Amino acid sequence: MLDILKKTMPFQVVSEAMLSRIAELGQRVSYDKGAVIYDAGDGAGDVYIIVSGKIEHTLEPGVNARRPVQLLAAGDVFGWAALLEKFPHRLAKAVVTEPAEIIRINGDDLLRLLESDPDSGDVVMSRFATMITRDFTVPDLIAQMRAVHRKTHSQDIQGMNLTMYRMSLWLKSPRPYLMLIGFALFLGFWYLAVEVWKLPRFSQMPGLTVVIKEWLNPNPVYGLSIYTGEYYQHIWSSIWRVTQAFVLATLLGVPLGLFLGWSRKFKEFVFPVFETLRPIPILAWVPLAIVMFIATESAVIFLTFLASFFATALNTMLGVESIEESYVRAAYCLGAKRRQVFIHIIIPGALPFIFTGLQISIGVSWFSLVAAEMVSGQFGLGYVINTSYTMVRYPTIVIGMITLGIVGYVTSAAVRILGDYMMQWRVRELALGGQ
Amino acid sequence: MIPVRKSLISTAVCRGIFSILLFLLLWEFGSRSRHWLVLDEFEWLRHLLAMAGWEKKYLPWIGPIPAPSEVLKAWGGVIGDIGYWHSWYKSFSRVIGGFIAAMIIGIPFGLLLAVSRTAFGIGFPVFEVLRPIPPLAWVPASIIFWPTQEMSIVFVTFLGAFYTIVINVVGGARSIDLRYFQAAQSMGSSSWDIFRRIILPGTLPSIAVGSAVGMGITWEVVVAAEMISGGGSQVGGTSGGGLGFFIWNSYVGGSYEQIVVGMISIGIAGFISSELLRTLGKYSTPWLRLR
Repeated sequence: MLDILKKTMPFQVVSEAMLSRIAELGQRVSYDKGAVIYDAGDGAGDVYIIVSGKIEHTLEPGVNARRPVQLLAAGDVFGWAALLEKFPHRLAKAVVTEPAEIIRINGDDLLRLLESDPDSGDVVMSRFATMITRDFTVPDLIAQMRAVHRKTHSQDIQGMNLTMYRMSLWLKSPRPYLMLIGFALFLGFWYLAVEVWKLPRFSQMPGLTVVIKEWLNPNPVYGLSIYTGEYYQHIWSSIWRVTQAFVLATLLGVPLGLFLGWSRKFKEFVFPVFETLRPIPILAWVPLAIVMFIATESAVIFLTFLASFFATALNTMLGVESIEESYVRAAYCLGAKRRQVFIHIIIPGALPFIFTGLQISIGVSWFSLVAAEMVSGQFGLGYVINTSYTMVRYPTIVIGMITLGIVGYVTSAAVRILGDYMMQWRVRELALGGQ
Repeated sequence: MIPVRKSLISTAVCRGIFSILLFLLLWEFGSRSRHWLVLDEFEWLRHLLAMAGWEKKYLPWIGPIPAPSEVLKAWGGVIGDIGYWHSWYKSFSRVIGGFIAAMIIGIPFGLLLAVSRTAFGIGFPVFEVLRPIPPLAWVPASIIFWPTQEMSIVFVTFLGAFYTIVINVVGGARSIDLRYFQAAQSMGSSSWDIFRRIILPGTLPSIAVGSAVGMGITWEVVVAAEMISGGGSQVGGTSGGGLGFFIWNSYVGGSYEQIVVGMISIGIAGFISSELLRTLGKYSTPWLRLR
């Protein structure tokens, strides 16, 4: 029996000791010609391994196999539906065409055995998956493979499978290729217009290859590349400023917004002043900020803060106002105190809007940080862009811009992920609503 | 509980006026600290501030800001000045130029992305990669690229509004109920009919919102661009113009009152244009008014 198992696809690489334990589970059965081992829709409990003889294996149309009918011979494995999560029933019809000797292994027993040695268990299952995709041509099903449960990692394995599956779907869709075309068009135009055709106006711009060479150059011509420490110092000081301003804006803006939305009296007193100051562009504050704060560092942070503060406070207020009045009334009817209403209704109810506000706020804070750094300040990416312009280091301008784009994107993605994580209840609600 | 009064002198308005007056009073008081903090009566406050590490003879932060009364005086000084109104004109023309360009390019581009899946696949990733770069980071590059300074400022202004308008158009078109399309198709509409009768009116509200938001960003950007290109380099001179340059010039010239005048002027200008767009948006989407 061991020799047969060694020839099969799933068990080929399993250690001798494990193999003999698997063999112990097996039961030898023989079938006559024409016998139906199982039909589609039957309960699926066992996995079969052919020792000799031939079996005709016909997958039912619903599973979308590319080649539904196959003739199986010695060393082939079938009945793998017993190892799928969602299909405790057969997906195919198996008919004996030449008298056959078969080893039958119970699927649950097999999984239990594999769980005792999860590492080789994973190997067996993944080889099963390969077999299902390659020989039985039904790739859609591998996502439903049962996982070998181990105490800690079982989730990862399932997640891995799912990610792989999604990945393969994505690669099959036209999206990644269109995306490549888009980028190729964009970068190609940049390269051709500046460096090959030398179109008027474009020829003065730094070209694609110049920028990339400079960016990846250990000895940059203009003094800034991924190998220079200065580059990271600029990135770091920008990030640090944004973080300070963002945290400060959140700490002040969220409570202010909550009170504005919650108390009508408070809003009537404070909101007019708020609305008077808000239309003034942040950049118009630059000179005043320099005058107010003697240190340029605090002036830059103040400007960055101001932009985020307005966005956060306004969105929080809108969030509170979006809460259904009946929630508050219901809570009061049930005897809640003002404080309880605030904590249990107002804050969680406004949370989705608060996070939208925070996303806007982080975007706006980068926006105003760059402006503030360009006008005043030492270090920082805005400063890099501006000084590179005045000192005619044109490729460095583009390096600064690209870096800014990347860093800005990463920070907003971080805020978004945090928001999704903290509001899983809402994501679930939206998913249930079919959105 | 509180009766809804629609008269002008409702409690809300009274409270608003009160708080704005209070704000102005505090401001006046704070910025006059240069005059009163030196007096002997306020010796204790100076000690208190010194303990917090503030040795100067005026209040921190608010102290150096010119008082409202001085600002008003300065405003009275420039209001008859042709240069001041010229700054208004300059900034407005740049904002309108950039904004209209953003509308003309952004709305069709957004609609194209929304209508065609292929165009979306090709165009949107590139768009998303460029979007996180703040418009102001484009200022030096656009000065290099465009032949005149005027054009480079308008270009940066255009960028500011462009992203918002496109995102809003795409988002608006995608949020249209799928059943409208299905209904139209089952009744035999051509794709032009679907575009004209469903997609266009369906996106109009988001176009209106996007334009109002974009207008706000446009003012932010125009001020910065004027300050950086006009104020930062020597090219500007008085020919640079614009309210942003007015502020920067006042700062360099040391007349802080005029900075505040400029700030308030920009605030008013931005407010007026946003309100104008909002009214226009409401006017163009009359069916939303019923709700």
